[in-house]
Amino acid sequence: MPLKDYLRETEVCCGCSCCKFIPLEKIKTERYSYACPSVAKYNFNTYAAFGRLAFLKYLADNSLEYSDKVLEVIYNCQMCGACDISCKYAMDMDVLEPINEIRIKCVDDGQTLPVLDKLVDNMRKQGTMVPGAKVKRGEWASGLNIKDITKDKVEVYFHVGCLTSYNKDMSKVAKATVDLMQKAGVNFGIAGENESCCGGRAYQMGYKEDFLKQAKKNMEMIKESGVKTLVTGCADGYNAFKVLYDKFELKGSLEVLHTTEYFARLIKDGKLKPTKKVDIKVTYHDPCRLGRLGEPWIHWKGEEIGRTRIFNPPREFMRGTYGIYEPPRDVLKSIPGVKLVEMDRIKEYAWCCGSGGGVRESNPDFAKWTARERIAEAESTGAEAIVTACPWCESLFGDAIKENGNALKVYDIVEILNIAI
Amino acid sequence: MSISKELYKALEDVLGPDNISEDPVITYSYVPRNRAAEKATGMSTPMFEAITLPENTEQVQAIVKLCNKYKMQYKAASTGWGPYGNPTAPGCIRIDLRRMNRIIEINEKNMYAVVEPYVLYATLHAECMKRGLNCNITGAGSNCSALPLAAHANLGQLSVSGSWGERNLLAFEWVTPDGEIVKAGSFGSIGEWFSGDGPGPSLRGLIRGDGTPLGGLGVYTKAAQKLYHWPGPSVFPVEGVSPQYHSPVTPNFMIRYFHFPSAQAQGDTMMKIAESEIAFILMGFNISMITSNIATSNYEERELAKEYLHKVQGPGCVIILAGNSPGDFEYKKEVLQQIVEAEKGKSLDLVEDPRNAGGYIWRWTRPTGSIREVKFRANPSGIGAGMLSCSAEPYPLMYKYVGTMVMDKMNLIKRGLARLESADPFVLQLVENGHGGHGEFMVEGYDNPESRKAMETLSNKVIETGVNGCYGVPTSTWGDRLHDMFGPRASNYHLWLRKVKKTFDPNEASECSNYISGKEKPGDQPIKGFSSLSN
Repeated sequence: MPLKDYLRETEVCCGCSCCKFIPLEKIKTERYSYACPSVAKYNFNTYAAFGRLAFLKYLADNSLEYSDKVLEVIYNCQMCGACDISCKYAMDMDVLEPINEIRIKCVDDGQTLPVLDKLVDNMRKQGTMVPGAKVKRGEWASGLNIKDITKDKVEVYFHVGCLTSYNKDMSKVAKATVDLMQKAGVNFGIAGENESCCGGRAYQMGYKEDFLKQAKKNMEMIKESGVKTLVTGCADGYNAFKVLYDKFELKGSLEVLHTTEYFARLIKDGKLKPTKKVDIKVTYHDPCRLGRLGEPWIHWKGEEIGRTRIFNPPREFMRGTYGIYEPPRDVLKSIPGVKLVEMDRIKEYAWCCGSGGGVRESNPDFAKWTARERIAEAESTGAEAIVTACPWCESLFGDAIKENGNALKVYDIVEILNIAI
Repeated sequence: MSISKELYKALEDVLGPDNISEDPVITYSYVPRNRAAEKATGMSTPMFEAITLPENTEQVQAIVKLCNKYKMQYKAASTGWGPYGNPTAPGCIRIDLRRMNRIIEINEKNMYAVVEPYVLYATLHAECMKRGLNCNITGAGSNCSALPLAAHANLGQLSVSGSWGERNLLAFEWVTPDGEIVKAGSFGSIGEWFSGDGPGPSLRGLIRGDGTPLGGLGVYTKAAQKLYHWPGPSVFPVEGVSPQYHSPVTPNFMIRYFHFPSAQAQGDTMMKIAESEIAFILMGFNISMITSNIATSNYEERELAKEYLHKVQGPGCVIILAGNSPGDFEYKKEVLQQIVEAEKGKSLDLVEDPRNAGGYIWRWTRPTGSIREVKFRANPSGIGAGMLSCSAEPYPLMYKYVGTMVMDKMNLIKRGLARLESADPFVLQLVENGHGGHGEFMVEGYDNPESRKAMETLSNKVIETGVNGCYGVPTSTWGDRLHDMFGPRASNYHLWLRKVKKTFDPNEASECSNYISGKEKPGDQPIKGFSSLSN
């Protein structure tokens, strides 16, 4: 949708500042009251959704010219969607969508950051946005005797994801996932060298056309394979396949599940039985694109009636209500010995890890600052480990912990589950 | 006009390069562009010349002194919900107080809190609840600044038991318009915050009255406010995922919405409840305020309002009881029952339903539903206005005032100049257990010149009706025109206010379009022996 089509959202914004904070009734402490990393770090209103919508008006009619500062503001945002949730507690308007659209306009206008261009170029050439990916995509699976969905008939396609495939520190998560599926007797396969980036992160950065190319390419392969269910452990991939592909009507009837949803289901059905005790006190970090941004896309076509934002037909806004919050917790609770303690900011109003929207690549200091904020919050619970369900979160937390010398450990849920079975 | 390189450099030296900007992408995002007004007037929305982000009082002082030196106006604001923080013309910089967001002290023994301007009420309230304390919160919402000098009148849902800003303000720290740091009240003499009036200089009457200068008289950098006893939990057990939050009813708490066969019965009930001192929260609300506080979308709100509009017998009020003990709770319930029965009040099932009641309690206690309450009504082409009265019978007085104004509003609706939105009365409440009353009404206009003109005329009439009818103090006396209209009827206070502004702001540095200017006007002569408020 062109930027000018979001002008109505900017008029509806009443400037209440709620986009900066977690939902007000959830504020328990002074320390952890912010929802938006961007305004918490850079302070000017401009960095909050309120400010972004305010300058959108000027970008839409080209009365704000591009400059280094404009691009710095636009790209210093993880697109985590926390603002969107806090706003929509009381408002009927789109917040994250117009902010994403600003980036799409930037790409259309050739106003991008060289570091992001390079990443997307890498995706165009190699099918991944992991910088410096030199090894083969399926190398981690060598010797594991896993079926290939492009050759074998399987029920479940395990989409491994770029970071898990290429980062040697993260391939342990892929191996644990495979181990668990094999223990449960699932007929599954991977795409190996044919797997390609979901494109979700490119979309967050504004490269819509590149995203669509990836989406079409992936869905073509999936349709040819005949699989009906896709399981991924990457929250970005989950959001892309389940939400974005559906937004652009490319998903069809494909069932998309996150590993935590899938394993929670297998545990409930008795196909996986965590019996070994894992004595550890953990806190769970909700990845943005599994939690608040992991809810199904709500298709709607209609018109606004009058000025009070009543729609015909009635429109349900995406407010994070149906995100994936309980399955990861159910998995953790099923493991003997694991004690789950919660942070102040959880579920739909969880603080971002810092990795999304291209920030990790374009502004690593900001990404790590955001991660350190979360690590401090995790430590305040007394947990020994922060557990998450996304390789991007795990990897950034790991880097920040290493750099800072924290004692906190970081795991993906499947790593802990695999120890228990 | 733009900021000179010299001034910018001087400000940058004080704040560091990351805490000042004149880049359009920064300045444009501080003032919502009013496209309708631009179209109607052919003028651009005024913007700040630069935005500054001071971290402490000394940096605020340095900014203020530099503005005085370089003849640049400034306007300070914190959370900034409302148009008062916006510039009205070029030649003004914004002092954004976002980095001054510390709770300085919560004194449990002496029951006060000291905050910097960017502490939210939601945050202060959360910290207070943990300590068995409670603070009055401005009715606009807990997203607003907890500085008792920032939230204007600071009247809110808790005002029946927790008073309002003018009365809750204790000691404070003030950077005057020309850059002096003033420590007032006990803070000025012994460095403690417990009193606004002494020992030490008491300047409370200079820096605020019923309202505040809205950025027109320097910068308030710290202030203490009175706290109250809190008999509830340390944290409200809010469950569910946004926006479908719910909560069990807190022990020893009860909420009801009573509706009555007549306005007289409603008013009498509210006065009796206030006099018996049993209410934690007591608000005269129309039914749309009830439905807006439970709806999770505009559509749902509209449908609920339609449904419940026909389920009430007449005007109503919300009451929340908070017992300090089971015995106290039982006593309050019994008193309430007797009062309501005598006036034939009926309880609305929507609020009494235990599935909803817990949510209603925290939405009004914190308050967090206010954005949905006001979002339709607060629009650039409409007006909101209110009155505060301290008198023997404040409720009937407020009812009459709002009723009078609503008749004018209905006339505009009939003429197609205002919208019908079933939102009257927006607020009718008693404060300090009936020592005072407060009434508000709102009007939604249209984005056309005729409607705008009608709104302007009505906003004048709001003040005229209030002061000529001796209803009380208007809570929206913003700007020279309205002060000049009200002043002659209230002991010529506007002349004194103008002298205050002139004395403390000799260079007119503190932007005052929503306060009063220091420039004497042709009509600035005392009207001896006349004050309608004292008649």
